[in-house]
Amino acid sequence: MTSNMKTHAIDISSLKRDTRVLNMDDEEITLKVNDLRLCYGDKEALHGINMQIPRNRVTAFIGPSGCGKSTLLRCFNRMNDLVDGCNIQGEILLDDSNIYGRGVDVAELRRRVGMVFQKPNPFPKSIYENVAYGLRIQGVKKKRLIDDTVEWALRSAALWDEVKDRLHESALGMSGGQQQRLVIARTIAVKPEVLLLDEPASALDPISTLKIEELIHALKKDFTIAIVTHNMQQAARVSDYTAFMYMGDLIEFGVTDTLFTNPVQKQTEDYITGRYG
Amino acid sequence: MRISVSDWTRSGSPWVWLNAGAVAICIIMVLGLLALIAVRGLGHFWPADVLSASYDQNGKRSQLVGELVESEFVPAAQLRDSGVDVPAGVEHMKRDLFKVGNRDVTGADFVWALDDSVTERSYPPMMFVAERREWGNLYGYLQAIKQDGELVAQHDGYAPGPEYDALWQDFQRRINRAQELHAQIEDIQKGVIGSINYELERLRLKQRALELKNSTDALAYAEIEDRRTELNAEYEVLQGQLLELSNALNRDSFVVEVANGRSIEVQMSKVVRAFLPNSMHVGDKIMHYLSKIWEFIADDPREANTEGGIFPAIYGTVMMVLLMSVMVTPFGVIAAVYLREYARQGFTTRVLRIAVNNLAGVPSIVYGVFGLGFFVYFLGGNIDDLFFPEAKPSPTFGTGGLMWASLTLALLTVPVVIVATEEGLSRIPRAVREGSLALGATKAETLWKVVLPMASPAIMTGVILAIARAAGEVAPLMLVGVVKLAPSLPLDMNYPYLHLDQKFMHLGFHIYDVGFQSPNVEAARPLVYATALLLVVVIALLNFSAIAIRNHLREKYKALEM
Repeated sequence: MTSNMKTHAIDISSLKRDTRVLNMDDEEITLKVNDLRLCYGDKEALHGINMQIPRNRVTAFIGPSGCGKSTLLRCFNRMNDLVDGCNIQGEILLDDSNIYGRGVDVAELRRRVGMVFQKPNPFPKSIYENVAYGLRIQGVKKKRLIDDTVEWALRSAALWDEVKDRLHESALGMSGGQQQRLVIARTIAVKPEVLLLDEPASALDPISTLKIEELIHALKKDFTIAIVTHNMQQAARVSDYTAFMYMGDLIEFGVTDTLFTNPVQKQTEDYITGRYG
Repeated sequence: MRISVSDWTRSGSPWVWLNAGAVAICIIMVLGLLALIAVRGLGHFWPADVLSASYDQNGKRSQLVGELVESEFVPAAQLRDSGVDVPAGVEHMKRDLFKVGNRDVTGADFVWALDDSVTERSYPPMMFVAERREWGNLYGYLQAIKQDGELVAQHDGYAPGPEYDALWQDFQRRINRAQELHAQIEDIQKGVIGSINYELERLRLKQRALELKNSTDALAYAEIEDRRTELNAEYEVLQGQLLELSNALNRDSFVVEVANGRSIEVQMSKVVRAFLPNSMHVGDKIMHYLSKIWEFIADDPREANTEGGIFPAIYGTVMMVLLMSVMVTPFGVIAAVYLREYARQGFTTRVLRIAVNNLAGVPSIVYGVFGLGFFVYFLGGNIDDLFFPEAKPSPTFGTGGLMWASLTLALLTVPVVIVATEEGLSRIPRAVREGSLALGATKAETLWKVVLPMASPAIMTGVILAIARAAGEVAPLMLVGVVKLAPSLPLDMNYPYLHLDQKFMHLGFHIYDVGFQSPNVEAARPLVYATALLLVVVIALLNFSAIAIRNHLREKYKALEM
């Protein structure tokens, strides 16, 4: 039975570009989650998560809808603080200091841990002002510095060539895929350490999706990336490590190649072979 | 094939007809209203032909000279009761209203006469109309012009020809000269002398303030006294100039033969313009009409507001509405931001929202009473005590004025702005706020830089509704600062330029005053319509400019497709 399923598992060797052998023990850890529990009112949505997110790697979170992967991602930059009745226990260490500790400046934390959402959400400003927004918030006044950063961010997001002639036009006139790359440019413009991507390509067409995936590959040398996705092929293509979550529990976490080819847990195997989800 | 009634009902077409009918009736009513006030109001400025006729009043014959204003049918019984001899068998009789002018001669400038009793109607081409600064229109035949009491030119007044033309041209030239002199006098009186008086009053207050402080600063007193002497000297000089000008102004006069062969002499300085309506071509009449309309819009009122223009009322209305908008917008927006963004949603905010909504339903006169009691008497009184003790006992802010009127109306309209702004804030997609927060912006930064700009079209909608409501409000204004005739505009060249404490004129109140408080109701009635039309136009213009701003903002902050 089990061997039969394995033949149905996705053959990812052809999709992977990076074929180095990874090992968690060799990695430098950026985010460390210790026994994280999260309740919405009376309902516990995360039941004690423990995991580590390595630096300059892409970590993918997969799992069926409602498994808590987006909720967990939103814990990394305290986005859940905005939800009424949300209660969090446990700790998340960013570079060894607890982001839920006392006296943490949430705005500063969010600058260090940037986030890109499911649907493109550019501000109704020009392309330039969208990217400059984070810098202006930080009080950067020097036009030269802002100009350079905007160009660097747009180049990093592989958008520069497409928009360099219309930087001062409204960002709302761009296509969905361009908008999403603009949002990524806007996020990296403030030079965060961690980039959280919450299903960044789910609202995009296949070509835009491909561009985003290439972008993720390119960005991981500068940033630690955590991505939530519904698309297992995508997780297999872009990530180095994969976490499988189910019903608020972290079921399995490991090197992507291993998790997809040789999962330890039966639930993981059922999910990646399409039994449910 | 026949369609049964029930099938027709089920098909839904009765509802379409019902809805379309309702819309059609609404449109017809609005257009009808506008057409009525437009026709009644604008017709007033057309130079009507002047009629000369024989009027038989219970056997007594007299000459009737004037313009036919309107005709109506009256029941014969009513006429018999009032002692008019009406032949038996007649049910209704036509009655005409004539504007006979010459109020200084006849006492009344309107006459009702039975249509049958006015006979031998003619429109003599030499009949002229003179609009005057007092006593209303003058109708008659120009017979002579005098300078310093001496006859300059003379004519029988009836026969057209080059002689008459020369007389008429001389007449027009002298009117223009008088007009220019009059304008100079006005300039000096309102401009320079106004400024001097204003400064003298300020000096008086300054001195009084020193006295109140028991100051012994002799230098300060001396300075005031010096300046006062200076100003008084300037004033004397101007007085002299004025005397000269008014002597020059009163140089000319002219002789007119009015109805029934009477001749009167009239000062040239009293005439605003003179024209011969019966011999004017359509082109002349149109020019005359346009200049009358311009006068109506751009000039000061004359003769207890029944003649001249209504510029100060337009100015006051616009000024008050703009000040109101400037006050209500920040108030409403800040309140809405707190209610929607910061306050914890629950019982209290619900109660607050209900209270705000109910506030919009409070009758406006109640706001007027509140404005009078709180703003004028309490706030204004205390401001006077604290800052203007030298002006006492005459109040500065402790009486109705532009500021209190604007503030009262701002209070009246603040619920509209709050509701509209809240609505706009609630429509900003969550994703955009999160996008800003995720970049390290605080909640306040997100609000100011992203959320409020995106909500600005909704805020403008609130302001538009506020303007629409405030510009039409009259009742509360009567308690907090509107007057029938304001001596000066609230914005002028005297420091501090914007006089928030001054009383002002308002179109809505002007309509009420002209229509119902005027000594000359017949003369004022067309002005009521004309002013009403102008009020509608002013409000429409204010609204259109606000709508234009909103559409611009909408285009700029086009909502994201979420």
